[in-house]
Amino acid sequence: MSISRIATVLLMTMTVLWAVPVFAESPMASLKKPVEEITKILQNSKMLTADEKQAQRDKIFEITRKTFDFVEMSKRSLARNWKSFTPQQRKDFSEVFADHLNNTYMDKVQNEYQDETVEFLSEEKLSEDKALVKSIIKRRTITVPVDYSVLLSDNVWRVYDVNIEGVSLIKNYRTQFDEILVKETPEQLIERLRKKTEITGIN
Amino acid sequence: MHRICFQILMMGFCLVICSPAFSEPSNERVDNSNRLLAASQIDPFQDENLDFLDEEEEADTATPRVADPLENWNRAMFEFNDRFYFWVLEPVSQGYRNVVPEMARIGIKNFFHNLGGPIRIVNCFLQGEMESTANEMARFVYNTTFGVLGFGDPAKNNPDLNPPQEDMGQTLAVYGIGDGFFVIWPFLGPSTLRDTAGMFADGFMDPLYHLDDTAASVGVKTVDIVNSTSFRIGDYESLKSSAIEPYQAFKNVYIQYRTKRINEQH
Repeated sequence: MSISRIATVLLMTMTVLWAVPVFAESPMASLKKPVEEITKILQNSKMLTADEKQAQRDKIFEITRKTFDFVEMSKRSLARNWKSFTPQQRKDFSEVFADHLNNTYMDKVQNEYQDETVEFLSEEKLSEDKALVKSIIKRRTITVPVDYSVLLSDNVWRVYDVNIEGVSLIKNYRTQFDEILVKETPEQLIERLRKKTEITGIN
Repeated sequence: MHRICFQILMMGFCLVICSPAFSEPSNERVDNSNRLLAASQIDPFQDENLDFLDEEEEADTATPRVADPLENWNRAMFEFNDRFYFWVLEPVSQGYRNVVPEMARIGIKNFFHNLGGPIRIVNCFLQGEMESTANEMARFVYNTTFGVLGFGDPAKNNPDLNPPQEDMGQTLAVYGIGDGFFVIWPFLGPSTLRDTAGMFADGFMDPLYHLDDTAASVGVKTVDIVNSTSFRIGDYESLKSSAIEPYQAFKNVYIQYRTKRINEQH
C-alpha cells in the first residue's frame, strides 16, 4: 500500500468526519416538521374524553421532547443557580420543568386555540451552532410574533428559548426562579414544580 | 505489515479526532467541532458552562433591572387586579362576547384604536420618527374617511400604514429617562414611574378626557376595555397558570415587553 493511498483514505475519512454537521436539517425545517405533526394530531381534539386527551398529550410530548432541549432550557432558566444544584437535582429539575412547560403549552393548544395557524417566516444563523427562527401565530383578529432560539447539538437543531412579542420565556422563568431560590432550597423548588404539574396535569 | 501500519495510523487518527484532550482551548474551531462530535458523551448535568449570561450582557439583551421599592403595595394591587379580573372583568367580557357579534366587536376595537391615532402621531413626531409620523397620519386620515370614522380598518394590509405604536412612556425613554421604579395601579395594571407619567400626558391628548360629562367618559372607556378584553379571554389565565411565581412573572413580562417596544426599529 503506497503512502498516497493511505493519504487518500485519510483524507476521505477526514472529509466524512468534518462534513457531518453539514448534513443537519435547516433550523426552520427541523421546527416545521414537528409543528405540522402536532397540528395533525390536534385536528380532531374537540369533544375528547379525559383519557383520549391524555393519550393525545402523550403523543405530543413525544414530539416536543425531540424538538425542545429541555436540559438547556432548565440550565438557562436557573442561570447562576444552576451551580448550586447537584447533578441529580439538575436532572430532577429538568424533568419536572419539562413536564410543566409541556402542560402549559398543551393547555393552550388543546383547549383554546383551535383556529390558530402557524406561519414560519425566516431563519437567521447566529453562529455555527445557534440560530433564530421567526414565525407568526395567526388568530382570527390578531397575529402574534413568535421567535424560536435553536441550538445545534448531536446534529439536531432544538429549541432552547421561545420569544413571544419580545418576551423571552426563559428570561421570564429566570426572574421567578431567582426570586424563589433566595428563600427556598433547590429541593423545595423542584417539589413546588412537581405539585404544580400534578394540579395542572389534565383539565 | 503495511496493513498493520495503516490500522495503527487510523486508530491514532480516530483517537486524535475523538479525544477532547487533544483540542487546544485557544483554537475555537477545533474546540467547537469536538464539542459537536462528542456532545453525546458529555453529561449535560455535569456541565457548568454559563457563558450565555456573558453573551446576553454583551448583546445587551439581558432584562433591565427595575427597582421595586413599593413591592408590598404592588403585590397587594396585583392581588386586587387579579380578583377584579376574575370576579368582574372576565365574566362581563365573556357575557359581552356572547351577546355582541364578532363583526361589531372588531368594528368597535378599530374605532378606539383609530381614536388613539393623534396620540401616536404626536409621539412619533416627538421621537423624531418622521416617516412613522407621516404613516400614522396617513393611516388616521385613511381609516377615518374610507374606514367610516375608523370602524373599518382598510389600512390593515398595508405594512407602511402600520408603524410600531408609540406612546409618551416610550418617548420619554427615547429622551433618556429611565424606568424609575415598578408600580402596579388598581384597574390600570403594571407600569413604571416613567410610563405612568407618560400615561397621564397621553391622557390629556385622549379625546375621551375632553368629554364634558365624566360619567359618559367613564362609560365609553369601560366599553373600550370590555371590548378589547373580549378578544383576549384566556390569555391572562394561561399566563398566570404557566407562572411559578406570578407576581415576578407579570412584572418581568411588563419590563421585557416595554423594553422591546422602546428599542423597536422603525
